[in-house]
Amino acid sequence: MSTPPTQPPSDWNAETAGDQGTLYGHDGPTPTVLERDPEPSVGVHVGHLTAGSAGSAEVLSVEGLTVSFPTEDGLVQAVRGVSYTLHEREVLGIVGESGSGKSVSSMAVMGLLPRSARVSGTIRYRGQDVLGMSRKQQRALRGRKIAMIFQDPMTAMNPVYTVGFQLAEAVLSHELMPRKAAMARAEEMLALVGIPQPKARLDSYPHEFSGGMRQRAMIAMAVINNPDVIIADEPTTALDVTVQAQILEKLIEVKDAVNAAIVLITHDLGVVAGMAHRTLVMYAGRPVEVGGTDDVFYRPRMPYTAGLLGSIPSAGDTGRLRPIGGAPPSLIALPTGCPFSPRCPLVTDVCRQTEPPLAPTDAADHLAACHHWDRLAAADDPTAFFRPELTGLASGAGEIR
Amino acid sequence: MTTEKDQISGKPAGPVGSAPAGTPAPGGRPSEAAQGMAVVARSQGQLVRRRFLRHRAAMASIAVLFIVVVLAFSSIGFLGIPGWWKYSYDAAGTVVNRGAPTLSVVPTWLGGNGFSIGEHPFGQDDLGRDYFALTMRGTQISLLIALVVGVVSTVVGTVIGALSGYYRGMVETVLMRFTDVIITIPVLVIAAVLGQKYGNGGPFVLALVVAAVTWTSLARLVRGEFLSQREKEFVEAARALGAKPRRIIFRHILPNTVGVITVAATLSVATAILLETALSYLGFGVRAPDTSLGLLVSTYQNAFTTRPWLFWWPGLFIVAIALCVNFIGDGLRDAFDPRQNRVRA
Amino acid sequence: MATFILRRLVVSFFVLLAATFVVYVLVANAGDPRTALLESTDPSRDAKIAALTENLDLDTPVVPRYFGWLGGVAQCFVGQCDLGTNINGAPVTGLLSVALGSTLRLVLFATVMAILFGVIVGIVTALRQYSGLDYSTTFLAFLFFSLPAFWIAVLLKQFLAIKFNSWLSDPVIPLWLTIVLAALGGLLAMALIGGDRRQRMISLVGGAAVVAAVCVYLDVSKWFAQPGIGPVVMIVGSLAAAVGATALLSGFRYRRVLIATLITAVVGIICSFSLGWLLDISTAGTIIILAIVTLAVSGAIGALVGGVLRSQAVKACMITGFLSGALIFADRLLQAVTGYSDKVRGILIATIGSNTPNFSGDFWETTLDQLGHLLLPSIVIVLISFATYTRYTRSSMLETMNQDYVRTARAKGLTERTVVVRHAFRNAMIPVTTLMAIDFGAVIGGAVITETVFGWQGMGRLFTDALRIPDPNPVMGFFLVTGTAVVVFNMIVDILYGVLDPRIRTA
Repeated sequence: MSTPPTQPPSDWNAETAGDQGTLYGHDGPTPTVLERDPEPSVGVHVGHLTAGSAGSAEVLSVEGLTVSFPTEDGLVQAVRGVSYTLHEREVLGIVGESGSGKSVSSMAVMGLLPRSARVSGTIRYRGQDVLGMSRKQQRALRGRKIAMIFQDPMTAMNPVYTVGFQLAEAVLSHELMPRKAAMARAEEMLALVGIPQPKARLDSYPHEFSGGMRQRAMIAMAVINNPDVIIADEPTTALDVTVQAQILEKLIEVKDAVNAAIVLITHDLGVVAGMAHRTLVMYAGRPVEVGGTDDVFYRPRMPYTAGLLGSIPSAGDTGRLRPIGGAPPSLIALPTGCPFSPRCPLVTDVCRQTEPPLAPTDAADHLAACHHWDRLAAADDPTAFFRPELTGLASGAGEIR
Repeated sequence: MTTEKDQISGKPAGPVGSAPAGTPAPGGRPSEAAQGMAVVARSQGQLVRRRFLRHRAAMASIAVLFIVVVLAFSSIGFLGIPGWWKYSYDAAGTVVNRGAPTLSVVPTWLGGNGFSIGEHPFGQDDLGRDYFALTMRGTQISLLIALVVGVVSTVVGTVIGALSGYYRGMVETVLMRFTDVIITIPVLVIAAVLGQKYGNGGPFVLALVVAAVTWTSLARLVRGEFLSQREKEFVEAARALGAKPRRIIFRHILPNTVGVITVAATLSVATAILLETALSYLGFGVRAPDTSLGLLVSTYQNAFTTRPWLFWWPGLFIVAIALCVNFIGDGLRDAFDPRQNRVRA
Repeated sequence: MATFILRRLVVSFFVLLAATFVVYVLVANAGDPRTALLESTDPSRDAKIAALTENLDLDTPVVPRYFGWLGGVAQCFVGQCDLGTNINGAPVTGLLSVALGSTLRLVLFATVMAILFGVIVGIVTALRQYSGLDYSTTFLAFLFFSLPAFWIAVLLKQFLAIKFNSWLSDPVIPLWLTIVLAALGGLLAMALIGGDRRQRMISLVGGAAVVAAVCVYLDVSKWFAQPGIGPVVMIVGSLAAAVGATALLSGFRYRRVLIATLITAVVGIICSFSLGWLLDISTAGTIIILAIVTLAVSGAIGALVGGVLRSQAVKACMITGFLSGALIFADRLLQAVTGYSDKVRGILIATIGSNTPNFSGDFWETTLDQLGHLLLPSIVIVLISFATYTRYTRSSMLETMNQDYVRTARAKGLTERTVVVRHAFRNAMIPVTTLMAIDFGAVIGGAVITETVFGWQGMGRLFTDALRIPDPNPVMGFFLVTGTAVVVFNMIVDILYGVLDPRIRTA
């Protein structure tokens, strides 16, 4: 650990000043400061908050990952073939509704799934096959090279141990050193994530911290061993809206300080838009669109993405919310064909019969799983398909709840 | 990970009273369970019933308990209605073959005498009374007492717990201190003291005595549930709509605590069976000439080496009843609160 | 925390006071102590009735009589307890002091055993959820929970005590028993170790082989006729304790902890061979002193050798020291069995009473005598409490194993051992402590029954005998002691709760 930079990277500062709004982008009815962009009429302004540039070396690659759970009702296919690569210092956003498999796939990467889970596919960390490793090797990777930040900081820390103890424990489980040294490291980390009086705070218990402070402490715990990859699973969802921006800002700052890459899992499009280099959209356990964040947000090539973008309310809107009609399919009994077909305004017979593969669209690095991506490409405003009153398109199940 | 697993098991999401099952729970995070993971929308009642019916131990216990109840009440009759068994529990007779049981269940191909009931399947006691009839009478009394205790202590415990949990303040202080006083006295001690005075008033009075000391744990449990439920959004919503306390208690909170109460009530029946037999054993419960399973064991414990059947039969019936009730309670707990039974690997 | 405990103490005091009043009124209404006299044909009947009425103050109404009794109790604060007399005029304080010792021994021993076994089994079954072991312990727990104490007590007397004692006169382990025990041992090993199919088969065969070998060895060497642990088992046991304590507390990644515990074990072994004479002249006091010295020496070894992981090393060494000390103690105790057995004519496991009447012997023999009498009643009480503890610990452990912070602990890359011992276990114990408070009342109730069945001259016996008359003052004396015990136990649990859960401490 080199000395932590006191200043965040300059481009961060410059860009955030007038652009904080994107960080607040929220999919609830909360009034947001999102500006509707006149040019490509997509509901999100893509801010360029991403710090540092991504390297070229692959740190993490996931290929054909599938996870299923046997249950009383049948086999739940939580993840069905997820593939992505993560480069050094890159931020990859994974977006999807609850139950779309985004958390399960990252749990698989961490090796934290329950024993009953059936996992197949390959996960490589710097070329090494993680799933093929011994438990001991996997454990050496966990928290050391691949760290994780969880959704709810209220419950993610053990209530009976001090914060300092829990941070030091992360160090001591990978390195043999006197407890004092580990505590000093913990103090250094607490300072890095911006907790005032870090020395005194080492002896505090989690319940003496506020939610935001706890999430800062969780970030400190994640980066304390200088990991290469940080998996952040909805790191701000459980937090107060006013704190969310600070935490994300801190996350980016800390990531740059330790040169880590981030897999950012969220259902908050605004967060991804503001931070991620690339974005992966998941639906019903599969990635349905992958590409550069700008591509995905300005030029969606999968109706689901377009629907999501169209459902974001903006400050200028006075009308009703525009959610995507219907509900995601059951992961036990998936419909044949495209899983999104029952809710899709562009649905045709081919959609109901064959599930489209994830294939390149108009750009080689912009992939989408849709038979009709060309129709989205041709449209002026892709989100308009979800607004029958604008296009006159009657959507099959597109009723507004 | 928890969220995913909750969805899989179809954990009942949201309170019963306010939201129709299968729709998202009000407030908090959007309920994942409702967002499309449910295969078929099932009401919470259906889910509970289905999980309970799948609990093999509970189902077997219900069958066994049913057989015991039917046997006990039909064989020697009840409340003047005659039964099909030829002997009465209080009629003395001639002791045949030292009163040894005539029941035979070992098939002939195993060297036994085949299945036959004989004259006195469970044997006879030293007065020549038919021991099957006596055991059945004891079972009747023990079951009746357990049932009354279960009902009375559940009602008392629920009311006291609900009142102190809902109203807080003085009501809570007074009721809970009262509960504390009763809890400080070991159950067996206070029941024995009461039983000494009222035990000879018949089984029903004894049941009230036992119920008077077994409601305390349920009261605490219900109070705890009420304390947490009354802070929930749906209760606040009901209050904001101007619902009266009685309506909130009975229509909104109570249905959400029904699982806890059902399980505790079942287990209180098991406790009652054991407590009654213990009291009768010590001589503070059911008195002669009436009998109960505990009294039978107590009377004949010294006959163990010479006439062991006098000791075994009532004991086995106590164990069978208590075991069945406990397993049913366990099945109910799993059905109402499936958190620990998520994914069966 | 201190104010919290103080407040609890004050509330508990008043609750106890109210409870004594309730019990006093109930006992007073339960019947007239003079009933037996009224029905007698004794010529001095009227004089006796008058004396009894005078003695027990029966002419005074209940409420003032209660306060009179309370006044006597209040004198306890100045060391002059007056709990009244029984119907025969004997002071209750005297009766209590005799009964208290044996009951306290029974209740504490049974509680400690129930907690120990219940918690351990609960944790193991939680970690092996849905295994054969889990299902069988679940069934056993429910069975134990459904057993009437008085019924199982009679069975234990017959099958564990009388049969075992007579078997000891000619200790031959029959072949069928060896086979059954070996099969059970194999199944247990398989269930505990787990793993894939191959691993499980190895555990099954290995476990069965070890148990069978032990059985054959015990049989051939006539071990039961001349029991003892012997030097080989002593050495192996101490070293195993060292390895086990290390595995539990720190793992083997850092050698110095293992070295420290092994040194402790070796010191223990050397002591057992060189200081044996010290045990021959022991009393309870010297044993306690030896135990303290052992713990201090072990701790010092851990502190000196432990290096970076000093705190774990100290704990591991103290556990090792304690266990090897326990082995030495058990060895010496077993060596006294032969002499003791001759003195009591082969009744090693007693079925009646809390000690052999008029028995005299050295420290080891009296200890054996008390243990022999304690065994059956304790088993009865433990069986019932054990079921509650196992189920409660199991569900509490399952609950914590599903908590987010356990997932966090795993995500940090901690070993499974650390996750279970440090993160899950510690939190799972918090709700279990509340159970201890609740269960203690049940144990006292259980003691009333077991004392009756086993003919112990203890508190329970005092209570039931007095209540039958009914004789108010002994009943009140009994309740005063047990009620105070329940309140004190609750207090200990509250403090334990605060120690375990920092959220309570600051509240």
